[in-house]
Amino acid sequence: MKAVGARLPRYDGVEHVTGRTTFVDDVRVPGTLWVKALRSPVHRADVKGLDTSPAESMKGVHAVITWRDVPLLEYGHLSALGIPADEPLLAKDDLRYKGQPIALVAAEDEETAQAAVEAIVLDLDEQEPLLDIRRAFDADAPVIHQWGNWYPHFEAEMDRRQIRKGDVDWAFEHADTVVQGVYRPAAIEHVPLETQVCLVVPEANGRLTIYSCTQALYFSLGVVAAHLQVPLNKLKLVGGTVGGGFGGKVDTATETMCSLLALKSGRPVKWRWTREEEFLCSSTRAPWHMEIADAVTKDGWILGRKMLTLHDSGAYARFSPYGLTKHSFHHTGAYTIPNLSFDGYVVFTNRVPTTAMRGFGVTSVSFATETHMSRIAEVLGLDPYEIRLKNANRIGDTSPNGVVYTDPSTVPTIQAIADAMGRELPADHRTMSRQPREGSLLPEHLVAQLGNPEEH
Amino acid sequence: MTASADVLLPRSPDEAVEAFGDGSDVTVIGGGTIVLPEITYGRLRPTRAIILTAADLAGVKRDGTTVTVGATTPVAELVDLPAPVGPCAANVADGEIRGQATLGGNLCAGEGAGAPRGDLQGALLAVDAVARSAGAGGERTEPLADFLANRRGRLLLDVSFDAPAAGAFVALDRPHTHEYTTMAVSVARRPDGTVRIAVTGAGTHGQRLPSAEAAAGDPAAAGEAALADVAPQDDALASSWYRTKTLPVLVRRALAELKEAS
Amino acid sequence: MNLTVNGVEHDVASAPLTSLLDVLREELGITSPKAGCEQGGCGACTVLVDGEARRSCLLPVGALDGAEVTTVEGLGTPERLSTVQLAFTHHYAAQCGFCTSGMLLAAHAYVEHGGSDDRAEITEALGGHVCRCTGYVKIIEAVAAAARGDSFDLETTAASPGMTNIGGVR
Repeated sequence: MKAVGARLPRYDGVEHVTGRTTFVDDVRVPGTLWVKALRSPVHRADVKGLDTSPAESMKGVHAVITWRDVPLLEYGHLSALGIPADEPLLAKDDLRYKGQPIALVAAEDEETAQAAVEAIVLDLDEQEPLLDIRRAFDADAPVIHQWGNWYPHFEAEMDRRQIRKGDVDWAFEHADTVVQGVYRPAAIEHVPLETQVCLVVPEANGRLTIYSCTQALYFSLGVVAAHLQVPLNKLKLVGGTVGGGFGGKVDTATETMCSLLALKSGRPVKWRWTREEEFLCSSTRAPWHMEIADAVTKDGWILGRKMLTLHDSGAYARFSPYGLTKHSFHHTGAYTIPNLSFDGYVVFTNRVPTTAMRGFGVTSVSFATETHMSRIAEVLGLDPYEIRLKNANRIGDTSPNGVVYTDPSTVPTIQAIADAMGRELPADHRTMSRQPREGSLLPEHLVAQLGNPEEH
Repeated sequence: MTASADVLLPRSPDEAVEAFGDGSDVTVIGGGTIVLPEITYGRLRPTRAIILTAADLAGVKRDGTTVTVGATTPVAELVDLPAPVGPCAANVADGEIRGQATLGGNLCAGEGAGAPRGDLQGALLAVDAVARSAGAGGERTEPLADFLANRRGRLLLDVSFDAPAAGAFVALDRPHTHEYTTMAVSVARRPDGTVRIAVTGAGTHGQRLPSAEAAAGDPAAAGEAALADVAPQDDALASSWYRTKTLPVLVRRALAELKEAS
Repeated sequence: MNLTVNGVEHDVASAPLTSLLDVLREELGITSPKAGCEQGGCGACTVLVDGEARRSCLLPVGALDGAEVTTVEGLGTPERLSTVQLAFTHHYAAQCGFCTSGMLLAAHAYVEHGGSDDRAEITEALGGHVCRCTGYVKIIEAVAAAARGDSFDLETTAASPGMTNIGGVR
């Protein structure tokens, strides 16, 4: 294990600094066509007509695809995790977000492709969009998804991710005070320096070589094969260096469409998103709406938590149920709260579908929990370091979903922060550790939530 | 198609003027920092363009206190000019873009897609600059404000101004060097003691703030008075509410800085 | 029109309003400058034009007749890396590598023009360059080291002076 602890150079460091690292857009194949997309100009509309013939007959255009060209139009990327399909690869009857791809053109050059896109005739009947997740539950809100305005396919066909632990009513009856907060982080763009890009080459042996910037090569291979209804061995995905992904390059957003264009035109095709497409049409981290009410004692114990989360999934489900599930498991953050009532909804809006981004599902609740801890400290007139150390996860504590902690780092991390900030903690907090609770750190109300780390 | 555009590269000011003609159906390119992205994104599809980089329209000349700046002078060459012009130029984009962008391109920039452009308009209005231009009807020299209002069909040749007794430039912070400046205030004290105040980012282009100028002796009052001269809009960078809140602050700070510089 | 790139003279066939970036990448097959935004906002396309760092996505090639362009391929090769290339490698200043070409050329011009190891000056000089991976710390350290004239060993990575040991597990 001579690599551990050693300062090794990057294996691709010299390639990076000499410009030899090959990103997808650097691959050169003779005869490559440029791709441009017709995208929805509005948040929500019914499609009354789509006429691609002006594009198809344009000089220099080699292929145009719409939903009709897709063998399996809807495929649930996380169907293995129980999330059914809801999103057409290319829009069919209706448009649900501004920027949604409708038709794609492959042409001799970028300008011709763009002119062809602009020549396509799109006839729309605009509808009232739903853009605020809080409105989704109103009786008079527009219904914008075939499943209703929120995802209904959690296990046992529940319409929310629900966690109940202990006795939250007891907690609120015995609280000295209740501290409430509402937290609403906005959507975040990944902004990788390399925009979405894909090059597909039809090979003489009938296979497709797909140069992809995906973060998840095998995953994307499966998605493309499913949409195209071909065996996996018909596709060769070539990945390699991704120019930044951060979760935004897991949606397989370009590979299938480029494959269809390559098959239809018989030529290599490349689709490189512009920076404007990245900002306007690419998937983002979800915005969230979180409401927390904590039952607390005046000496700083958090007896129980009630929490409501609305996760803005955008127009389609994609990976949001999975993200919300992770969020629910971590909704007490680095702290042990024995009595819990959590309800989380994946809510649809007419916005770009949201996706993974570093710490998918969990960064939102970390932000909310940490802010809420400081808020509790302020309300109670206690030190924010001390209130964290008191409630910190320790070996043997259990998470919201019953996982026993064997190696929680909360206590040493907070002590290290205090050190780095030059904060003098009182002696009893300075000597705290993550060892199992005992004595004054194990009041009656924390006993029932303990688990055995040996059994874990 | 830009591939078939007719592109001219005049080699002298006279050639540039002749190529420009009356300015109808021609795209003028100074450095290209504003025009090229418009072409790349398909918002501008010139059939005829003039690239001015070789037309000998660059250079800073001083004659006593009078400064004359050629239209294609890179913005980078303006950073040492007297305030407010120098600090305004130094606040444009980053060094790489300042080295390529030109005075003329900056002054003649139309409104961006949802963002104000043309920071130098404010600084040069504050120093009573005059603009020399060519076009239909021949060459003329006029106050910069008049040029800005009627610049269609005019080819800017140079801009002149007398160095002020003192000047200051204050802008809303840009989060990153590539951001356009949301709003900026330039002030200058003329040798006779009167004060000029101009703003960019509070309207479609740079403008003087006469109500603030009338109250220039009292920076706080001048700040409040400035609101009477503007009608800021919402755009991609900021709301009109935000601009209304911050304009008085910028005016007050600029005048305070001017007092210290005097 | 005529363009010299990394010492090689080319007769450019592209139309005059074609960006230098597109001429380099599409006509000449030099792919190290990247299309990060094509609006001058990110610096991934930066090259040297007559020794000055410039955004190639903003330059119409028609304005560059007779110019000398340098890309990272012209700075150095794996066998003979230039100072900034050595510095970036030793200081681990690249992760995905997409911004690296532009950063290197801006850094090279900065050092060539006598830039110091002052952090604020380096930040000002490279201020138009976006990196989404590294958080900039190691890039600035690499440029500072290059400006100072440090020596670089490619077998190991430099310890970062910016890091402190923030306490072990108790």
